[in-house]
Amino acid sequence: MKIVGIVGSNADFSYNRLLLNFIAKKFDKLIDVEVLDIADVPMFNQSNDQTNSDVIQNLNKKILAADGVIIATPEYNHSIPSALQSVLEWLSFKIHPLDGKPVMIVGASYDVQGSSRSQLHLRQILDAPGVNAVVMPGNEFLLGEVHKAFDQERNLKDKETTQFLETCIKKFIRFINVVNVMHSPEGMKDLSSTEDLYATGSIDTTIKDINMLDDDWVEQAAEKTNAADGNTYVKLNRGILTVDQINYFLDSMPAELTFADSNNQFLYYNYKYEAEDMLAARRPEQVGNPLAECHPERAYSSVAWVIQQLRTGKEDVVRTHVPTHGPDKFVVHSYQAVRDDDGNYLGINEYVRDIKPIIDWYLEQTGQQLTGGGVDAVSGATSKVDSVSGATVKDN
Amino acid sequence: MKNLIGIVGTNSDNSTNRQLLQFIQKHFSGKANIEVCEIKDLPGFNKPKDREAPVEVQKLSDKIEEADGVIISTPEYNHSVPAALKSTLEWLSYTTQPLIDKAVMITGASYGRLGSSRSQAHLRQMLDAPELKARIMPSSEFLLGFSLQAFEENGDLKDKSKIEELEGIFDDFIQFVDITNQLVNAKSTHKKQAQQFSWEDH
Repeated sequence: MKIVGIVGSNADFSYNRLLLNFIAKKFDKLIDVEVLDIADVPMFNQSNDQTNSDVIQNLNKKILAADGVIIATPEYNHSIPSALQSVLEWLSFKIHPLDGKPVMIVGASYDVQGSSRSQLHLRQILDAPGVNAVVMPGNEFLLGEVHKAFDQERNLKDKETTQFLETCIKKFIRFINVVNVMHSPEGMKDLSSTEDLYATGSIDTTIKDINMLDDDWVEQAAEKTNAADGNTYVKLNRGILTVDQINYFLDSMPAELTFADSNNQFLYYNYKYEAEDMLAARRPEQVGNPLAECHPERAYSSVAWVIQQLRTGKEDVVRTHVPTHGPDKFVVHSYQAVRDDDGNYLGINEYVRDIKPIIDWYLEQTGQQLTGGGVDAVSGATSKVDSVSGATVKDN
Repeated sequence: MKNLIGIVGTNSDNSTNRQLLQFIQKHFSGKANIEVCEIKDLPGFNKPKDREAPVEVQKLSDKIEEADGVIISTPEYNHSVPAALKSTLEWLSYTTQPLIDKAVMITGASYGRLGSSRSQAHLRQMLDAPELKARIMPSSEFLLGFSLQAFEENGDLKDKSKIEELEGIFDDFIQFVDITNQLVNAKSTHKKQAQQFSWEDH
């Protein structure tokens, strides 16, 4: 997700700049933050329109291209600095890049107030019709006594403050998704925001404090949970197998199996072949990733649509056929909802297989033939298929 | 007779707030000497390390210092006061601090119906900050809506009831200036707080 961070001060040294740089560095796995300065923006004057100057156009373009904006404001005279005010005036005069843009407010101040009053002013200003930003409610991040807040590496010293900031950032990511849904035109072309594909939340089984993007996520998670392996027996419904037996059993399944949990985290696949030999490529280091990392961005809408069908109980299985493997393979991707005994959604069992050998064998055994016309042996639950992006079903 | 200054709260060439102050200057010339001051030539505030007021800021500051009271007339940009006026207040609070315990009256004009109501509320809060600490006249909103249609060609306000409203507020302000000068108890605290206010790197 692309985020623009605006430093609300034009001073040479600003703790608010420090705070934004910290956000950019600390949460780079969650969001991609570009920190922008406003020191070169001229004082707004409606009699001297400088909307087309490079510095204002640069801000305009960056904001338009961003998914969201974080503004860090100091407090001068119980309000926001004139420098920030001036920027917002330029950005609401002839151009309106903040219109409908999700905005998060943070602020740092030297005293204990932590910019509390300027943040309230900023909310009101951003709410003015000329600006018309969509400001995230609640989640006020006030950093008071800021001169004591950072260590020498310019990281926030206080763990709890950092954790709270992380909560706010994660909520902001969700807020952006919600705002996008709100702004979707009738008939919603892009459904990507209906699912938290970045797995920013957590569920009971989420293994915490391990970076989902690490290549050795599995090893780290196994160590952290003291996971069973090898000859350890596991009781199942119904039977007892060792972990090794379970592994070989799953490897022998005539399909590529993948499990992603209800938090949209990719947790398992029956790793038997390398990516290039698979019908739907997986790599060992991908395990643990959020689903957003496993698909190209253009597929997000379709991925979200599939998950929604399963999560809401609309479907128990969604299938798509993928003809790009050539005429001698009938490749079907099935997305099967995994539910507990009470019907609660636990995740997806995706199984991918080439069903042609089975069909051929069956026809041969029974003396039947495939005929043209009405028969469409390979398409399953849906015909709304995007064959290019693989794991996807598209909306019309 | 009182000596007042009126501050035009915008840097725009055309301003109905300027017109309003000019009307006040003319209409109340029998009650006070009012000088209308501009902020359009002030540089943008950038918190310089030396805390020196630029020449234009020093000039305005001296006028405030000498005046018995200050009238600020503000437009409304984005529910708040214009950056140019904000910048002026930042200069004053960061350098010379002439508004401490100074009697201030707020007026405002806007093209729409609301007449700068929200920017006046912001301005009150700002003037109340420890590093400014002006004495703002309470309960005295003067909101001039539809300001483009509000004036005669000779600069007078068209609406008689608006003039009466303004006369009431202005007379109160003259008295408020006197009352403010009698409020001395908190003065030393205000001075101290303002001087001690930490402008370290926000």
